Amino acid sequence: MTATITTTPPMASASRSRAPVARLTWLLARPSAQSAALLVLPGLAFAVTTALVLIVLGGGMMFSRWTLDDNADATVYQMLSVLALVLLLVPLASLGGAAARLSARRRDDRLATLRLLGATPGTVTQMTVLESTAIAVLGSLVGIVLYLIAMPFVGLIPFAGEAIGAGALWVGPGVLLIVVVAVAALAAISAAIGLRRVTISPLGVRTRQTAPKMHWTRIVVGVLAIIGAYALLGSMSGIADAALTIAVLGTGIGIGIAVLNLIGPWALGIAAKLSLRRAKSAAQLIAARGILESPKAAWRQVSGVAMTSFIAVVAGTGIAVVSSLTGDYEEDTMLLLADIRTGIIITVVTSFLMVACSVGVNQAANILDRRDLYVSLDRLGMPREVIEKFRSRTVMSPLRFVTIGSALVGGVLVFPLVGISFIVAPASLIVIAGCLIGGVFLVWLALRATGPVLTRVLREPERL
Amino acid sequence: MNFSTPPFPANATPHTTAFSAPAILSGSALVKTYGSSTALAGMDISIRAGESVAIMGASGSGKTTLLHTLAGITSPDSGRVDFQSPSGSVDVTAMNERDRSRLRREAFGFVFQQGLLIPELTAIENVALPLMLAGYPRREAEGRAQHWLAALGLAGMEARRIGELSGGQAQRVAIARAQVTGATVVFADEPTGALDSATSEDVLNALLGSTVGQGHALVIVTHDDAVAARCSRVIHLRDGRVLPSAQTAGSTGRAVSA
Ligand SMILES: Nc1ncnc2c1ncn2[C@@H]1O[C@H](COP(=O)(O)OP(=O)(O)OP(=O)(O)O)[C@@H](O)[C@H]1O
Ligand SMILES: [Mg+2]
Repeated sequence: MTATITTTPPMASASRSRAPVARLTWLLARPSAQSAALLVLPGLAFAVTTALVLIVLGGGMMFSRWTLDDNADATVYQMLSVLALVLLLVPLASLGGAAARLSARRRDDRLATLRLLGATPGTVTQMTVLESTAIAVLGSLVGIVLYLIAMPFVGLIPFAGEAIGAGALWVGPGVLLIVVVAVAALAAISAAIGLRRVTISPLGVRTRQTAPKMHWTRIVVGVLAIIGAYALLGSMSGIADAALTIAVLGTGIGIGIAVLNLIGPWALGIAAKLSLRRAKSAAQLIAARGILESPKAAWRQVSGVAMTSFIAVVAGTGIAVVSSLTGDYEEDTMLLLADIRTGIIITVVTSFLMVACSVGVNQAANILDRRDLYVSLDRLGMPREVIEKFRSRTVMSPLRFVTIGSALVGGVLVFPLVGISFIVAPASLIVIAGCLIGGVFLVWLALRATGPVLTRVLREPERL
Repeated sequence: MNFSTPPFPANATPHTTAFSAPAILSGSALVKTYGSSTALAGMDISIRAGESVAIMGASGSGKTTLLHTLAGITSPDSGRVDFQSPSGSVDVTAMNERDRSRLRREAFGFVFQQGLLIPELTAIENVALPLMLAGYPRREAEGRAQHWLAALGLAGMEARRIGELSGGQAQRVAIARAQVTGATVVFADEPTGALDSATSEDVLNALLGSTVGQGHALVIVTHDDAVAARCSRVIHLRDGRVLPSAQTAGSTGRAVSA
């Protein structure tokens, strides 16, 4: 700091790029080299993902252990639990994906700099994959602890007339290991894919010139997921009428989700273009431009909500159907109907939790990612309210779009199955409205929760 | 508020008579420490309307800290900063965060080493932003922004995103943004630090023309003697203090800079 301007800087870059990958990774990952939050955040997201996966898996495995001797309706329970798992797959994947991208993207700038300094693409990729995987493993270990802590509480939920108990959700060491490995693999693959852009053009990320494009692998993965879900459900069909109905429902929903995800980003881009033209205030302008910059990223932030409003419609009509059946049935059936209601509520609540988590993680990452921009806007005298307003608009306006759009698609899909009377039944509408409002509120809350991150960034701006 | 219009002499020469004008911004006995390092060790400085002041000194000598303190971005540990606003003298250091933010938005302009423009916005939108924050309708804000861009030689580039501009062009967008509201003081921290000498010259012309050329003050941190030579006054800092030689230079024009 006391060196004069005429002093030549030591030529450290050449030797640094030749350092072993592990050492280099460690040097860049040290808390002193970057704010601890940048490492903790994706780790936390991996932890929450792991915990939720384990709880959901535990529930599914519990039902799969039931036999017809335990419960005459065991098959129906199993079908419904598979349906719930399928519904939870998308928000879960989006949370896991957010965590993985986060740990990869965090490195983008630094790695682009390393490339500029002459590190080989191989070194850069290895470093990132190494770091992301390490964070994922640590995060999922923390997730296992969270799972163990949550088990007794989740165990209080009653099924078939009694609390299921903490032990019922235990998945066993084998599954624990598989989940940790799967989460680590997800992180590694996501980091490797996310980094191809950096290794191809070091300047691309540095200057953020290339807006990420929609990738065909998404479509392939989507199609494969649907085929998988279809095969899974198809293999179980024909056992009972109820099973068949559930299979059809699951498939229909799966296709609906896939279609939503394919057209969602594109439709969002068009909506943003319209609001850009109409924008009057600075906040509206920045928000619309922000969405237009990458409709796919904007969609990704809220795509989990597409699922929850979808689930809300299915759940709403489901509850309406269930309510219409109550009355003159025997005790067993009454129990089953009550359990279906419980299951629907659990599915909705869990999916909301996942979505709120991924919005929170993404937003916190966004602030840290763009700290220099936020700091400079603050220095230029942009009022904090305006910053908050465009931050919130960038999430909330796609959210509104997604919520309404996917609820409509959900309604269209459910219509041939139950008819309009159940969709607009009071019980159904109450559940749907409650879910949509609750979901939007939860996302808003997650967004607000990241406010302190911005406050901290503005209060202690790293020197620019 | 009275916003300035872009036309200014293409190659404005600094006002060398600014010495007689009253101080528009002054800092007295400014002290700022970060932990054990002292960034400002009791500094006095005053900036007059229509003058350009170059601040030079070794890395870590407190240039950026001084700039941020004068601009109300950083609060000093002690000392005060007074700004002559159109409605009277205000003590910047006594203001709360909200008022200081407003002061920066309405009375000051900023150009940093990296323009720090919003990358998603186009050039014209970046320049129009301060006007929109001041409550101007978007159409009018963009109209004024367009004039400024044209005056700075960026006609035809209004719709480009920042990533699609060269470093020098982006800096000129930042200059347009700093002056579009008619800021009476513009703070520039190494605005030419990342540019080659020819581009640096262009950017400096634009900067001087749009500030001093309009009767506004420019405070510019630089390591470049050629940049300092174009300013009406050069202040040298060392270890958070103003070097005495530079203080005398204040009254004898630009003699010291080379
Ligand atoms: N946010 C901060 N936290 C800790 N120390 C700081 C901070 N800002 C400045 N300093 C310290 O204050 C002193 C002056 O810093 P300043 O940024 O003003 O220097 P400068 O003259 O602008 O240097 P340069 O030419 O490198 O930009 C330095 O010793 C620096 O380390
Ligand atoms: Mg500096």
